[in-house]
Amino acid sequence: MATVTYDAASRIYPGSTKPAVDALNLDIEDGEFLVLVGPSGCGKSTSLRMLAGLEDVDRGAILIDGKDVSNLPPKARDIAMVFQNYALYPHMTVFDNMAFALKLRKTPKSEIERRVKEAAALLNLQEYLDRKPKALSGGQRQRVAMGRAIVREPQVFLMDEPLSNLDAKLRVQTRSQIAALQARLGTTTVYVTHDQTEALTMGHRVAVLKDGLLQQVDTPRNMYDKPANVFVAGFIGSPAMNIKTVKLGDNGAVLGGLAVPLTREAVAKAGEGADGKVTVGFRPEDVQLVGEGDGGLSMTVDLVEELGSDAYVYGRADLDGAEEQFVIRTDGRHTPNMGDTVYLKPQSTPHIFNAATGERIDG
Amino acid sequence: MSSSASTTSTGRPARPAGRGRRKRLTFDRVSFFAVFLGVPLVIFLVFVVSPFVQAIYYSLTDWNGFSATMNFVGAGNFVKLFQDDTFLLSLRNSVILGLVVPFVTIVLALALACVVTIGGSGTGAVRGLRRSSLYRVVSFFPYAVPAVVIGIIWAQIYDPSRGILNAVLTSLGFQRAENYPWLGDSRTAMAATIFVIVWSFVGFYMVLFIAGIRGIDPEIFESARLDGASRVRTAWSLVVPLIRDNVQTAYIYLGIASLDSFVYMAAMNPDGGPQNSTLVMSQDLYITAFTKGQFGYATSMGVMLAVVTLVFAALVFIINGVTGGRDKEGRR
Repeated sequence: MATVTYDAASRIYPGSTKPAVDALNLDIEDGEFLVLVGPSGCGKSTSLRMLAGLEDVDRGAILIDGKDVSNLPPKARDIAMVFQNYALYPHMTVFDNMAFALKLRKTPKSEIERRVKEAAALLNLQEYLDRKPKALSGGQRQRVAMGRAIVREPQVFLMDEPLSNLDAKLRVQTRSQIAALQARLGTTTVYVTHDQTEALTMGHRVAVLKDGLLQQVDTPRNMYDKPANVFVAGFIGSPAMNIKTVKLGDNGAVLGGLAVPLTREAVAKAGEGADGKVTVGFRPEDVQLVGEGDGGLSMTVDLVEELGSDAYVYGRADLDGAEEQFVIRTDGRHTPNMGDTVYLKPQSTPHIFNAATGERIDG
Repeated sequence: MSSSASTTSTGRPARPAGRGRRKRLTFDRVSFFAVFLGVPLVIFLVFVVSPFVQAIYYSLTDWNGFSATMNFVGAGNFVKLFQDDTFLLSLRNSVILGLVVPFVTIVLALALACVVTIGGSGTGAVRGLRRSSLYRVVSFFPYAVPAVVIGIIWAQIYDPSRGILNAVLTSLGFQRAENYPWLGDSRTAMAATIFVIVWSFVGFYMVLFIAGIRGIDPEIFESARLDGASRVRTAWSLVVPLIRDNVQTAYIYLGIASLDSFVYMAAMNPDGGPQNSTLVMSQDLYITAFTKGQFGYATSMGVMLAVVTLVFAALVFIINGVTGGRDKEGRR
């Protein structure tokens, strides 16, 4: 049990001037499940490996439970990690895989036996203890990797995309198991993923990274409802938010035939350095289809994806002479047809961002 | 062996290969077999098997190598071998080489390979020492030099009065090393020779093991590091078991090479060394055949060398098997 603090921690790979992780500041509370999420190459895995001690911290510091561990070797940090490819020792049985770390610490045999059996029971692995990893399925290997971390009873769990090698169904199942397990053990956990669904469903808080820079840390709810900038808005949520940069009028934004009224302060903030433009975003589900004369934005339907309960409608609309793509979510039982023209109207106030900086504007 | 294992694991009775699905012998198939099986088989029989048979036959005669006639003496040569003190000494020396050279070479090569791949800093990513690629290239140099050249170079280095080794040792204050004949004293001749043979092999086997280690998922080493394994422990508990097949192959190659060792011996100790202390079987064979003109007897030595080599290879396989090298459940 411990807190984890990134204090302006940076990692600059040799031969590169641009930091892979740039002055990351992050406070993770005791017992918290924090998810680091971002696109490939955003520095999320590097951040995790810095915490593990598998990457150097070039500037700043990393603290576990208030103690600076930046220069400590991995084994002195009391952490356990689950790797993407599980990194099981192929020549050892499941039991030995889980017991290895304990043996290295000269834990008494009976204690090792007890802890491994406990972890195996927790993960439904009892009958596989004598097998070697290659005689296990992907899901079982994943559980062994979890078990190996659990028996250590570490201060912090680190997980580097542990579900990315599982098939879709198993991934959803294991996702909830990991979250439940973490809640039960109460161990501080840092979890890396590129999948925003995993991030939203598993984390107590989610940290979004891009190009080595932290974009936003917040609860999944806030992350979804109040993205701090255009990048987070586009990254979190599936299908992605409709984000368009349009003309800024005196009273608000003008989205084709649709006026989006803004307060005076918002207009002022949006106007800063933005050259008369503003970025407007609304989520696919925050849109209503209205009748022709109701002041909606007219869109030609290109494609309808039916998912049973819902349907996603993809289409094009004319914005200031440019064709723009939109996607909206509708009731799966009442969908327009391809080629139809429909009229969109956001149900609530859209998200407004400064077109130059990409920062969120409230109000 | 592997086919019987697979049938027991599936629980189905073994089915003789080819039965039930025998195809008609068309000209196409017959000519295919003739060219791709028949020709190599004939070549193999003529150039590999027949010399073996011939050698075994000669080993049962008293042929002198140049006469047209020879007398069949049965097992006489072999009886004589085991009463021949010189041969028994050479057999002993060969066995010593066969035991010491592979062991020392592999231990050194493994240690160096581990240092170069996972022996670096204890923090940060698992990596080798700095400039490890340089060490790798440099250590490979001896292997690129022909064995006979190595033998000649080291004979010069070991030279009692002009050799660089004694020059260095005396300048360091070891006065006893002055004019010490490393290869001329029966106490050190064998050890000095073994050192040269090991020196010439280590680089190559190091590179071989490095390739093996690089084939292991690096996450495994990172995982071991997080588990708290020291570098030595990682090498012993992970590297050795995971590149076990490479080690076994290396052991057999090295064993065969060192049971022979003819080139090194011929270059450094052409007469068998002081009191025959470095005489090896291949050398005894050579002297018996070409100096003493006893081809039949020399051939029986060759047969013994082949037997010793086969026994060695069998021992390596058995030891590896007994210590759990074969991973039966995983082999399909």
